[in-house]
Amino acid sequence: MSLLNVNDLTVTFDDLTAVDSVTFNIEPGETLGVVGESGSGKSVTALSIMRLIEMGTRAEISRGQVDFTMPDGSILNLLNQDEATMRSIRGNQIAMVFQEPLTSLNPVYPVGEQIAEALRIHEGLSRKEAMSRAREMFDLVRIPEADKRIGQYPHEMSGGMRQRVMIAIALCCGPRLLIADEPTTALDVTIQAQILGLIKQLQVETGTAVMLITHDMGVIAEVADRVVVMNQSRVVEQGPVDQIFHAAKEPYTQGLLSAVPRLGSMAGRDNPEAFQLAGTLQ
Amino acid sequence: MTSTEPLVRVENVSKRFPADRHAQVHAVTKVSLDIGHGETLAVVGESGCGKSTLANLIIRLHDPDEGRVLLNGLDITQLGPRELRPHRKTMQIIFQDPFASLDPRVRVGTAVAEPLRVHGIATGEEAEERAGTLFELVGLNRSMLQNFPHQFSGGQRQRVCIARALALNPELVIADEAVSALDVSVQAQVMNLMLDLQRELGLSYLFISHDLAVVERIAHRVAVMYLGQVVELGPRRAIFENPTHSYTRRLLDAVPIADPHQRRTRPLLTDEIPSPVWQRGQGPELVELIEAGPGHFVARED
Repeated sequence: MSLLNVNDLTVTFDDLTAVDSVTFNIEPGETLGVVGESGSGKSVTALSIMRLIEMGTRAEISRGQVDFTMPDGSILNLLNQDEATMRSIRGNQIAMVFQEPLTSLNPVYPVGEQIAEALRIHEGLSRKEAMSRAREMFDLVRIPEADKRIGQYPHEMSGGMRQRVMIAIALCCGPRLLIADEPTTALDVTIQAQILGLIKQLQVETGTAVMLITHDMGVIAEVADRVVVMNQSRVVEQGPVDQIFHAAKEPYTQGLLSAVPRLGSMAGRDNPEAFQLAGTLQ
Repeated sequence: MTSTEPLVRVENVSKRFPADRHAQVHAVTKVSLDIGHGETLAVVGESGCGKSTLANLIIRLHDPDEGRVLLNGLDITQLGPRELRPHRKTMQIIFQDPFASLDPRVRVGTAVAEPLRVHGIATGEEAEERAGTLFELVGLNRSMLQNFPHQFSGGQRQRVCIARALALNPELVIADEAVSALDVSVQAQVMNLMLDLQRELGLSYLFISHDLAVVERIAHRVAVMYLGQVVELGPRRAIFENPTHSYTRRLLDAVPIADPHQRRTRPLLTDEIPSPVWQRGQGPELVELIEAGPGHFVARED
């Protein structure tokens, strides 16, 4: 049984359809990569699954189902749940990490307390228990000098360390699905490699499924088991990562792949060369 | 080094910024490099490595604390604003965010023609005509000259910025992360345009980027910067096929390759780049470049 089944999801902003009949599923423990260019609807899809899209926007989820399998085997259509139920699902069952950790963290509280806060709210831990678990989470996400770091404020940390804190907050209640929306886009490439490696490792250690949203085909190739390609609010193609990269059927996917610079592709060639664009980019 | 004079020669250039009363950011330290005629020199490195400061030093948006920049053999570091002005035409720059580089209330045709007016090259209809020609050169329609920046997509806006940069027939165009904010399909098209323009106009590019896969496509030569200093410099093939400095190797190892058959497993690291901030009177240890191959220089490591 799939962990998450998204079926015919359609989200509109007034006259604009931002997500159009999107259907995909996520299996327990797998990494689903969702790739697409700006405005393709990938973030709106994620926020709709979390039921955060209607908050403070004019978005309306006009059609579809988002069926999530609970630990006891029952299936909840998240689109029918009230806010109280959603609050118990967010963090506990499905957690989210965003691109910019600095805007996701509260600047006036030490990072350790922000992890502890999530634990106190979701798991009802005492302050002391929560801080002790927060300390364990720091070790889990491999933050060095954890005893010192736990008392630091977000501005005292680098972007990579802040993203580790965000991942710790996301994973502290043991969610079965982690939605990571461009989690490494704002990071330097060596730090990106660290964070992607960390997410992969934590997935092995905790068994969490990951929905990784990115514009970066390199990141997708590196970590995804299966791939959903989105363009203009729709899913244009989905399949195992090998199939998408080596046997893409849709002209849009072929075009996208032809535009991706691949490290090592210029080996043996002396001069710069233009991209030979394919598919819809021809 | 080539026997003919390079377009730009950077000699031992350093730039420090005050961090607080007692400390300084050593943004660029003793950097020397050349940019040849018609060549693309890429400068790569991570945030804070000094690559943008280096670009700003070359076009004199910053004045260096030490060292000099020669443009066609002429030292431009000591020139006053009036003397510098004719030489500014030779060097133009394109930035990462084309929306921030264009005035939202100025029609793009006027923006593209502005350098012509400022430098007294063309006015009125003549400037308009030239703007139209530039638009066609960068793949935009002449009829779009009357539009405002918000009416363009990100890729089109970057084309407008390129058109404006080309208005004065520069010899050097500095592209500071100029394709980094673009979607990948648009990025490829803008890079193809830059390659076309280089062939047609004989332009030199100083291509500043954090993205090594992009750099591999477009560069003739590559300088790798780390903490304000060049740690490896050489022909693109030498850097990518025979990376010699440990930092260059680390950068290349970190780049995700868009091919699932080439997945790499890496050790779980947590180390980060040290701070470029030093107490006054102190500073980084200077690297010593040694020749590892023809035109390929690498910082000595212990």
